[in-house]
Amino acid sequence: MLPPVFGVLFDGIAYGMLLFVLSVGLSVTLGLMNFVNLAHCAFAMLGGYVTVTLVNELQWPFLATLPVSFLAAAAASVVLERLFYRRLYRASDLDQVLLTIGFAFISVAAAAYVFGTIQQPIQTPPFLRGSTGFLGLGLSNYRMFLVGIALVVTLLLVAGLEYTRFGAQVRAAVDNQRMARGLGIDVDRTFAVTFALGSGLAGLGGSLAIDIVGLDPSFAFTYLVYVLIIVSVGGLGSIVGSFAAACLIGISDVAGKYYAPELGAFLIYLVMVAVLMWKPAGLFGRR
Amino acid sequence: MADALLTLDKVTAGYGDAVVLHGISLTLPENGSLALLGRNGVGKSTLLLTIMGYTQMRGGRVAWRGEDVSRVAPHKRATRGIGWVAQEREIFPSLTVEENLTVAARAGTWDLPAIYKLFPRLDERRRNMGNQLSGGEQQMLAIARALMTNPALLLLDEPFEGLAPVIVDELIHAMKLLLSDRRVAIILVEQHTDIALELTADAIVLERGTVAHAAPSATLAKDTATLERLVGLRVAATP
Ligand SMILES: Nc1ncnc2c1ncn2[C@@H]1O[C@H](COP(=O)(O)OP(=O)(O)OP(=O)(O)O)[C@@H](O)[C@H]1O
Ligand SMILES: [Mg+2]
Repeated sequence: MLPPVFGVLFDGIAYGMLLFVLSVGLSVTLGLMNFVNLAHCAFAMLGGYVTVTLVNELQWPFLATLPVSFLAAAAASVVLERLFYRRLYRASDLDQVLLTIGFAFISVAAAAYVFGTIQQPIQTPPFLRGSTGFLGLGLSNYRMFLVGIALVVTLLLVAGLEYTRFGAQVRAAVDNQRMARGLGIDVDRTFAVTFALGSGLAGLGGSLAIDIVGLDPSFAFTYLVYVLIIVSVGGLGSIVGSFAAACLIGISDVAGKYYAPELGAFLIYLVMVAVLMWKPAGLFGRR
Repeated sequence: MADALLTLDKVTAGYGDAVVLHGISLTLPENGSLALLGRNGVGKSTLLLTIMGYTQMRGGRVAWRGEDVSRVAPHKRATRGIGWVAQEREIFPSLTVEENLTVAARAGTWDLPAIYKLFPRLDERRRNMGNQLSGGEQQMLAIARALMTNPALLLLDEPFEGLAPVIVDELIHAMKLLLSDRRVAIILVEQHTDIALELTADAIVLERGTVAHAAPSATLAKDTATLERLVGLRVAATP
């Protein structure tokens, strides 16, 4: 029999996994491409609404909507990247912030206009509901599913970046854009694809989040805060760093709300401040 | 007559407002070899960067196999067959030696086995990261990385600079093998005038961004007066 603290730990890790899927794309665009995309969680929200619409209006099974929300967020990000973002790659951080926060506001207003400000209900398949007993703990099936997805995403990302030619081209372009171009690498396209993958993952995260934290138009800002904390605590551009930071923040948040309700949601800020005082570049950051 | 591989026609170019090259013209045939000489700061690297498309063109044109490429982006010039070996080598530090070679490789006669035969040291270091190499190894890797794109023209910016004499000999040997195949043209920027003139068929000397002299390399090698005036005689220092 395990004491309840393990249950809290499990919930915290599962929540962290969700935050990881939401944030890893931003870590890549911010760390590797130096682009400040504050509309990142707007792509996540788009993914969430795609899933809600397909499940509730068109009676799609929940799982089948996940690839669609990934693709929808990726496609939307490609359009924005081609039309707007690419013009600001060399611009100041402030210009990037102003543009992308504008998109975040637009997304909030658009979501409220189309879907209203209410929380969206979601139907998950029966095998993801309820929980499974494990040494005296009741582990939520949906949370176990989240952990599984996050592990697969992490493995695919690390393998893709470290062991494929495309991954090597991304690293080369980040190391030295001029030389990468001089060898014939289409750096703009490489970055656009990377950006789309990151946004697609945010879309997937948005769909996965509905069952845990709900979905309403404020999502684009509420979770932006978490995502920015994770990116800075983990270290810019580090996939492993995002993973570790997401676990840390997820566990702190759940444990804080469970054991110290009066401190509540404030604990994650203390954790962030502590980590950044210890390591200003984040856990796995290089700069 | 068939189109030359590379033609520069009255090219004026520079960085932003600073114009560095003034009205440069030159022609390089397929499989040709050209030494590009001149004192420090006359614009040799800038000329290579202009051929790659990194500088701002103010006038004239750059033609590749008869086609005007003056407005073509650098990565497209590279895929058309120009390989560039930068003066600072610019190895990718977060890639292994082998990844540096394969990251932009294009099909052709130069593949990993051929490269490792030319530079056996790189084979020994294939799993090292790009930033764990000696200066000589970095230079070999920079040349090998460009060769892996199977270029029709190789731009070499002072490949022997700052290297120990044994390494220079090794590189010269490799370069002679490369040129004896007659499958690739080169433009070689070099401070070691004697080596550059020995390896190439033709030569031009730059002075303050213009072509001050052009001659066959063998002729220029004997023309000590011109070399002394335009380059300063490094040749005399080597016995
Ligand atoms: N990025 C740059 N921006 C502005 N001016 C530059 C830049 N790079 C070089 N220059 C200037 O252009 C001129 C030519 O420089 P370049 O590097 O082409 O000379 P070089 O012949 O290759 O010299 P070296 O033998 O020292 O390599 C110099 O006056 C230099 O100061
Ligand atoms: Mg130079």
